[in-house]
Amino acid sequence: MAPDLLILAAEEEKSGLFLILPDVSELIWGAVSFVVIVFLVWKFAMPALDRALGDRQAAVVSQLEEAEDAKGAAERLRDDYQRRLDEGVQRADQIMESARSDAESLRQEIIDRAEAEAVQITERARAEAESERARVLEEARQEITSLSLDIAEKVVGTRIDASGHQELVERYIRELERETAE
Amino acid sequence: MTVPVLAQVVEVPSNVNHLFDWPAVLPFGINRVVLLMFLATLATFLFLYLPVRTPRVVPSKMGVVVETLVNFVRNGIARDTIGPESAKYEWLLIPMFFWLLFLNLFEITPLIHFPVTSRMAIPALLAGLVWVTFVFVGLKKHGLSYIKHSLIPPGVPKALLVLVIPIELLSTFLIRPISLAVRLFANMIAGHIMLAVFFLTTASYFVFEPKVVAFAIPLAFAIVITAFEIFVAVLQAFIFTLLTAVYIESSINVEH
Repeated sequence: MAPDLLILAAEEEKSGLFLILPDVSELIWGAVSFVVIVFLVWKFAMPALDRALGDRQAAVVSQLEEAEDAKGAAERLRDDYQRRLDEGVQRADQIMESARSDAESLRQEIIDRAEAEAVQITERARAEAESERARVLEEARQEITSLSLDIAEKVVGTRIDASGHQELVERYIRELERETAE
Repeated sequence: MTVPVLAQVVEVPSNVNHLFDWPAVLPFGINRVVLLMFLATLATFLFLYLPVRTPRVVPSKMGVVVETLVNFVRNGIARDTIGPESAKYEWLLIPMFFWLLFLNLFEITPLIHFPVTSRMAIPALLAGLVWVTFVFVGLKKHGLSYIKHSLIPPGVPKALLVLVIPIELLSTFLIRPISLAVRLFANMIAGHIMLAVFFLTTASYFVFEPKVVAFAIPLAFAIVITAFEIFVAVLQAFIFTLLTAVYIESSINVEH
């Protein structure tokens, strides 16, 4: 049985001292192996590890700087747009203002001109009416004179010297006018 | 009658020493233990080198593991113990920790199942190296007063020096390296024997009493002990490295 064998094995154990003392060839090869691992670790592994860490640090730093730059550029761009926008609004205001004042002055001008024209037209019409009236009156006067002469001729029966009595009739009419005026 | 059947399944040790008796299989005294040393050396190097070989901004998963572990040894063990001068001793501490880790973990590595540190060679070798290192550091820092300071603790009455000096001599220069080596070696040999006992028992019951209950009990123990031995393997590598750092620190600040 296996347990018996193990017990037997323990009983017939020879000196266990070889378990405690290092084996010489293992000691030598162990030393060689340790030198090799120290060499390999410090020649290859640690430089690679430190390089990876250094690269990562550099990459992080450069990315942060890039982000900072991009942020600055974006802010400058934004400020630029804002400034242009403000200028545009201001200019639009100016244009509106000047258009308004132009329109206002134009309107005033048109009104003034229209008023002046209206006054002129009224004036001219009045003058025309006046001269027409004067002309009509004159014509009427002449008509009346000639009619009076015709009547007088018919009444008198003779042909009066037109030019000789014209003056007489006109004086008579004027007297009539004066009387009616009084 | 039953022994040949068992022998076909498991290798029956004629003696418990058999678990640690490794005759040379190649010239120059190269036995299986030496071959495992080579394997551990290669594994340690590949573990530390391959994941970080190509520098990447976003590291691979293994790269993160390696960086974290190296930083742990660098900061958690070396710098926290030794202080600002710790970088000078990383050459020893970093390779030592990872090499011991792999040598220890071979205890539970499938198809290997043998902790190289359960042989005295490597614990003794490294303990000797640690002894040389901390004595050298002390002598270099403080000259011969290092010996004086390490033998005479401050505030001890003169009459007691007769007693204190031999104790300090023994504890610092003899027991320190021996305990360092034996702690590692004994932990690993004990774990190896435990695992061997429970796995051999499992195999024996499996062959002789193929009832589920019979072999399931030692198997359950074996599994639990395997998990425990993973913990021990890591812990012993850590303790060995940490004590090395502690000894170096005590040589640097020997006056305290």
